[in-house]
Amino acid sequence: MIRRSPLSRRASLAAAAVLAAGALLLTACAGNAEPGPTSTEVTADPSASVAIRLVLEPGNLDVRETAGAALDQILIDNIYQGLVSRTAEQEIVPALATDYEVSPDGLTYTFTLREGVTFHDGQELTPQDVVWSLTQVKQNPAYRDSARLANVQAIAAEGQTITLTLSAPDSTLLWSLTGRAGLILKEGDTIDRKTDANGTGPFVFSDWKQGDSITFERNEDYWGEKAQVAEVVFSYIPNTQAAINGALAGELDVLTGFDANLTDQLEANGDFAVVVGPSTDKGTLAMNSTRPPLDDVRVRQAIRQAIDKDAIVEALGAGRTQFGPIPSLDPGYEDLSDVAPFDPDAAKALLAEAGEEDLDLTLTIPASYGTTVTQILVSNLNDVGISLNVTTVEFGAWLNDVYINQDYELSFVLHTEARDFENWANPDYYFTYDNPEVQRLYAESVASTDEAEAEALLAEAARIVSEDMAADWLYNGASVVGVGTHITGMPSTNVNERLNLAELVEGSQ
Amino acid sequence: MIRYALNRVALLIVGLLVASALIFLTLRVLPGDIAQLIAGTNSTPEQVAAISDRLGLDRPLPVQYIEWIGGLLRGDLGASLLTGTPVIDELVQKAQVTVPLGLMAMAVALVIALPFGVLAAVRRGRADGTALSVGAQTLAAVPVVWAGMMLVVVFAVWLGWLPAQGFPRGGWDDPARAFQSLLLPALTIGIVEGAMLMRFVRSATLQAVGQDYVRTAAAKGLTRNRALVRHGLPAVGLSIITVLGLQVAGIIVGAVVIEELFTLPGIGRMLVADVGNRDLIKVQSELLVLTGMVLIIGFLVDLFHRVVDPRQREAE
Repeated sequence: MIRRSPLSRRASLAAAAVLAAGALLLTACAGNAEPGPTSTEVTADPSASVAIRLVLEPGNLDVRETAGAALDQILIDNIYQGLVSRTAEQEIVPALATDYEVSPDGLTYTFTLREGVTFHDGQELTPQDVVWSLTQVKQNPAYRDSARLANVQAIAAEGQTITLTLSAPDSTLLWSLTGRAGLILKEGDTIDRKTDANGTGPFVFSDWKQGDSITFERNEDYWGEKAQVAEVVFSYIPNTQAAINGALAGELDVLTGFDANLTDQLEANGDFAVVVGPSTDKGTLAMNSTRPPLDDVRVRQAIRQAIDKDAIVEALGAGRTQFGPIPSLDPGYEDLSDVAPFDPDAAKALLAEAGEEDLDLTLTIPASYGTTVTQILVSNLNDVGISLNVTTVEFGAWLNDVYINQDYELSFVLHTEARDFENWANPDYYFTYDNPEVQRLYAESVASTDEAEAEALLAEAARIVSEDMAADWLYNGASVVGVGTHITGMPSTNVNERLNLAELVEGSQ
Repeated sequence: MIRYALNRVALLIVGLLVASALIFLTLRVLPGDIAQLIAGTNSTPEQVAAISDRLGLDRPLPVQYIEWIGGLLRGDLGASLLTGTPVIDELVQKAQVTVPLGLMAMAVALVIALPFGVLAAVRRGRADGTALSVGAQTLAAVPVVWAGMMLVVVFAVWLGWLPAQGFPRGGWDDPARAFQSLLLPALTIGIVEGAMLMRFVRSATLQAVGQDYVRTAAAKGLTRNRALVRHGLPAVGLSIITVLGLQVAGIIVGAVVIEELFTLPGIGRMLVADVGNRDLIKVQSELLVLTGMVLIIGFLVDLFHRVVDPRQREAE
């Protein structure tokens, strides 16, 4: 999935950048997702209603067919659950299953289904619901992530035991089951899934005011520990300034998708603290290597070496540099900064060698990303003799021109999805990157039954992708969240992707 | 008169038809496929095709157009491609924000423009009249967004008197709260529009001062100002109604910006979101309703003029 949200505005205060960097360091030291800006204990208010600003509103609520991180972000974990889930640290943990086991040959997955779980409409969760849900996803190619269950041959239930039998080992299966492919829905549910939701999670869908807000209420019959707040209101506010105004006027409790450069503004009166956590957002500069002059690896390398990644991270006020396709939160990550370090002189030399000293290139970028990154790109590339024409398009047009028709030279979008290396092993993807060696390594990694081996294979493949200069990675974004000092338990890792609110607490100190 | 009205009605219908065809075609020219937007990235061509098929997007354009117009004639604006919700339901819901917002903005604009506009005309050439004119020029040049931000900073963030953004989730269930939510946005549009309108009122008044009948009245013994108020201003009022009619379109455009800034769930924000989502049926019906409103208001203003202003009939 690709995040369409605004990138944030231009850096203006060095102080803000320093502050944000400090915050990043702090969270890095703390090393967990429980930052809570307050150190003092709060008394939980069980009747609290917490207003959270989100940027991107879903088009509809159908998790089966509709794409977009906006849906995963609020619905998974809070409303819908799978047999397994993932923690903020990206670990796989049991959810609707009390435990699970994988056979040594990697071909049989056995889950014990939790008892006493009910759907929000009051009906009990049965093993048959699980078999039905997974079978539906597997059999219906129109459903999201259907292909992720491709290796699953049989899904069966006996008592509370659910067994998945695979035709070949799949090291990505458990992870896939923590996402859309593994969500457990009620068999034959008749609700209109576009505007309603019926799951097993700690929150119940209550109301959607289109173009405005979505409201969840606490699930009083939840099988696990009940949510600590009575109500969560997601306010969809694309405009960052409006969100800050709302926060300062006391109308919002949490701001996600926050611009780290505006930290001072939000923290000014002491009611908010900005929390910076890691994310799997990858600011990806795709290079169409099927097109001259970008089919010349020297030109692609020159572009990479011309771009000052540190300057980009500094201008954004948060995040870190990334030099390969895998971000630090994902398996297979390796520091690849040695592959194409910032070196304008080397870039010029490479261009001269390739006979491309006066180059005109076009960058296609969705309008929602703002201008911070493009300004740096234009100036950096200009320094080595490349004039960059920036074509700003709407996301729909980007999908059409770049994603479907692959009609572009350079493209920038933020890829938010965790563990999405598969796109580099897919020659049809809009990256236009086609390397059989990478495809083989990825397939081997998927087929591996040993976690460490699977990771090593991914790392090896990722290095090749980077060395092939398949694209450039401008930065690894951060989750920047403004949290009211009266709020604790707000997740801070990868919140664009998932926002588990089970531990959210509003209270007085 | 009846012939004139019938002519105008026929023109109105032709106008709506042309508008509907233009809206339909323009939206089809937009790059970006709704099925692809729903399916998103990392989707397979089968997923996209299945969605496209279910939504009926692969049918020929004339069929889609005729179906849409047929629905409209039966009073059916269609349903959102994304959520299946009837368009009319959402329009009615969003109109509860945008229509009061527009009316309040217009009221603010009139309260500013009428007295100060007339005053600026009457006091022309003197210090206070010049100050008013310069003030109006300046205010009219202020970007709406900036004016809105200033009002928010002062009245919401510093003073805490009014909400900075949003509309109560219960809508008009709590009228006081709903009214408060619209106050700053309405002031923002109203002040800027009012300043523009004030310049118009001033020049219309100046023109009226120079008219023969005002001078005649003055010659008959009325003071110049009384002659102006009794005989000149009704004529000014007439032309202001025309301008106000034209301003409806301006206020709708202003609403798009202001609703975004104040995150009001109104028609403006809905349109922007729907275009972004390529929810074509919804956008085209919404646009046609808005176009229809502007055309009908123009039609009513024309008829009204015809009835009230004798000069128009004589001119024929």
